[in-house]
Amino acid sequence: MFDTALTANDLMFLAKGAGMTLIVTAISVVFGTILGIIFGVIRYQVGPWWAAPLTFVLDIFRSIPLLIQLVLANAFVTMVLGIRISGFAVACGVLSLYTAAYCAEIVRGGIEAVPQTLRRAARSLGMTWGQDMRNIVLPLATRVALPSWIGLALGVMKDSALVYIVQVVELLKSTQILITRLQEPLFLLLICGLFYFLISFPVARFGGYLEKRWSND
Amino acid sequence: MKKSIFAAGLLAATAAAMPAQADKLDDIISSGTLRCAVVLDFPPMGSRDASNNPIGFDVDYCNDLAAALGVKAEIVETTFPERIPALMSGQVDVAVASTSDTLERAKTVGFTIPYYAFENAVVANEKADMADWEGMKGKTVGATAGTYEAIWLEERVKEWGEGQFRPYQNQADVFLALSQGQLDATVSTVEVAEANVASGNFPGIKIVDKAPMVPDYVALITLREEYGLINYMNLFINQQVRTGRYAELYKKWVGEGEPANLTIQGVYR
Repeated sequence: MFDTALTANDLMFLAKGAGMTLIVTAISVVFGTILGIIFGVIRYQVGPWWAAPLTFVLDIFRSIPLLIQLVLANAFVTMVLGIRISGFAVACGVLSLYTAAYCAEIVRGGIEAVPQTLRRAARSLGMTWGQDMRNIVLPLATRVALPSWIGLALGVMKDSALVYIVQVVELLKSTQILITRLQEPLFLLLICGLFYFLISFPVARFGGYLEKRWSND
Repeated sequence: MKKSIFAAGLLAATAAAMPAQADKLDDIISSGTLRCAVVLDFPPMGSRDASNNPIGFDVDYCNDLAAALGVKAEIVETTFPERIPALMSGQVDVAVASTSDTLERAKTVGFTIPYYAFENAVVANEKADMADWEGMKGKTVGATAGTYEAIWLEERVKEWGEGQFRPYQNQADVFLALSQGQLDATVSTVEVAEANVASGNFPGIKIVDKAPMVPDYVALITLREEYGLINYMNLFINQQVRTGRYAELYKKWVGEGEPANLTIQGVYR
């Protein structure tokens, strides 16, 4: 098992792949969450009837496999629009929208979990809609939504393995490149899994910590 | 007066109907990058060196083509089944990926003249009892799905009416299966067979015989309608042979001896 052709050079190559996975995930989760909050609030605010077109679009992003979304988006941008952009940009764009589609549901669920009576009480104290959203809904909804949001972020990190299809060399793709060269699939996949664990575990722990801290106040 | 208005109208209509169309050749030159699809699990045509950079005959060929165009080469790794989708979906400009020039594929993509030709060898597991290529009859054989060898092997299995054919995702999987005894034999190019036997990565395999196949002529591919680029690449391939670069690359990646003849007796093109 430890008689391997893997060199320090190759480990750096894997670490670079892990870095790419982190960058793609970070960009997608940040933009996806911002968009998701906007979409989620709109969906809640305008009611199911007026939000139907938005819901439909978000459902498309949630129900078509990510791999197909990536290929189609890349083809659309390069062939139909005729723009030459990097696979990295396409990957971040698609993954952000994909994250936003899921995040919108989480945000809507979080807002719905805030009791209507509490919000009416806030408004009857003279708070504006904005004050109500900021001071009443935001703190309560965040507590409800946090666990699902952490789950989403970790999910996106693992789903980001699919961006290899638009020529982004992330962690899993770098592992496959090494497997092709060294022919040690099990050992390399073990190391790859270890890398994923190393970047996912702190996020999961941090989420758990926030949850515990917030439940006490 | 009337005539001049008519002429002006005609001129305007012509200008409107025919905007200056830049084709792919122009696009590549103006963008400054040539994106080539290359298969990197197919030594000596494409593989990676110890620091994981792409190397091989196809990689050098792409670099030469980019240098001729005066642009930078970008190697995009694809698998064999992914090459044509990558081309059709605009991820690459051309595929320098040992693509056999079948008529079926020519319905989808545009081929240049052949830039290389492969002869084929039968490679078997040492435990399989096989003296020549006909020994494959009744055995379990396999190859990389969609390749010329796979098509030929599957046809033989059908013709013999016994034995079994198994398709695989890539060349490495085929040789792994052969080495582990899941396959009795495979057909691969002489180049690949020699390299894999010599590498020692796949113990227990040996080259048995040459497969009685027409040499596998491979060509560069791009989109079907890009005649400008295809014309350019045809001339480029001709120049590669004429200047001796073809023989030089053969010597560098495959070995001593004459590279395969790229012309066919008794027919044009």
